[in-house]
Amino acid sequence: MSDHIVSSFDEELNEITDGLINMGALVLAALKSVEEILKNNDHNLAQKIIDNDLQINDLGQSIEIKAFNTLASRQPMAFDLRLVFSAVKMSLYLERCGDMCKGISKRILKGDLTEADSPNTIESLVILTNRVYENLSLVLDDYAARTSEKSLEVWSSDSEIDSIYSDILMEILNNIKSKPEAIEALVPLFFIARYLERVGDQATNIAEVTHFIVTGEVLTDEKEIQIENETTF
Amino acid sequence: MVNTKDQIINVFDEQKIRKNEALISCSGVNVFYSDKQALFDVNLDIKEKEVTSLIGPSGCGKSTFLRCINRMNDVIETCSIEGLIKINGQDIYDPKIDVVELRAKIGMVFQKPNPFPKSVYENVAYGPRLHGMFINKSDMDKKVEESLVRAGLWNEVKDRLQEPGTSLSGGQQQRLCIARAIAVDPEIILMDEPCSSLDPIATAKIEELIDELKVNYTITIVTHSMQQAARVSQKTAFFHLGHLIEVGETENIFRNPINKQTEAYVTGRYG
Repeated sequence: MSDHIVSSFDEELNEITDGLINMGALVLAALKSVEEILKNNDHNLAQKIIDNDLQINDLGQSIEIKAFNTLASRQPMAFDLRLVFSAVKMSLYLERCGDMCKGISKRILKGDLTEADSPNTIESLVILTNRVYENLSLVLDDYAARTSEKSLEVWSSDSEIDSIYSDILMEILNNIKSKPEAIEALVPLFFIARYLERVGDQATNIAEVTHFIVTGEVLTDEKEIQIENETTF
Repeated sequence: MVNTKDQIINVFDEQKIRKNEALISCSGVNVFYSDKQALFDVNLDIKEKEVTSLIGPSGCGKSTFLRCINRMNDVIETCSIEGLIKINGQDIYDPKIDVVELRAKIGMVFQKPNPFPKSVYENVAYGPRLHGMFINKSDMDKKVEESLVRAGLWNEVKDRLQEPGTSLSGGQQQRLCIARAIAVDPEIILMDEPCSSLDPIATAKIEELIDELKVNYTITIVTHSMQQAARVSQKTAFFHLGHLIEVGETENIFRNPINKQTEAYVTGRYG
């Protein structure tokens, strides 16, 4: 797409877009760290995720202010309107992803993963983390390139994440049944799985937003509702 | 040429279109100023009691198109028009058309408020009187009041009816012009950048008025303000270099236009 007649308008839009890409990069880094923590029970890294979450929040806030000012001063239309309007939603989704990573870290800091004595579950959580990372990475790539193919792919594959999540829950339940004495160490794994599944949902939300920015079409929720019904316990 | 009185056709004498059919239907409209072509094969339907915005860069032909609808271009000697413009199912360029009646039924509001150098009352009463609509004064008084009420001006001028129309503020003058236009009971109101010389408050009042008027009138408005088009109209047509590029639901034009030129224009990527 060609540049605006008013070049400062382009600069404002670029600042919003770049801000979201940076925010996405910070969230991806946090997810990578979650994977490390799950593998190595690294409490220092968990604390680092908590500390870095402030940076994600600050960036989200500055994007929202920029989008707000651009809406007021430029009154954008068509693609620009979709981009600015969606920036507010997207920063919120990414901020929530950051919160989920922070939540996981807090759960890990409260106890000791090794006490759960569930290497298979931890491994499944690592797989879930990777899958969520991959989806988020794909939609952020799409957003940066202003394309929507990968987003559609992610949007239609969220059920796979839900399926991994359901399997993990079953696994933890079975572990609790067989080792009731380890319940305190096992319950945090529930939350970690839940947080990761929520990050997956946010990636789907971002896929919807990216698709809307690029095409102007709204993806319907029908499929999402169906998936939710299938995986609700 | 009109040969005999009984051959004259009044466009709005009877309802000739079916429900949901376009009130104004334009097909293959070409307009020339001498040998320079200003409009190219314009096909556009305008529905009854809807607001349609015409947008596009200066010189794109939107005002030329607007003036075709009430045959205002007839007064420009060098201007010639091809194609078919039907209003209420009737070809308005049929030689048997009563042009005076046609223009009475199609009110027009211009960029710059242009009240007559007469009192507020006379500005509104002028049209009905010219068309012999009212004979006794109380009927005319009622019509003047009704028109000023509909134009949202009555409360501001009811005690100043004998003052010159030109003594009102710019926004009030523009609403006086709208009152003048609706006093002759038009079917269609054409507005050519009606707010471009007004401040935001006066603009808001005109926009509020457009919203109210659309219940009774079919309105076509030329505007340079994309936001205004988005606010007041149900349909938007984008013109560029004399071509009608895209027409559609206003919401779609501003949210997700189909044509790349429309997108470039509404997002401010070229002038």
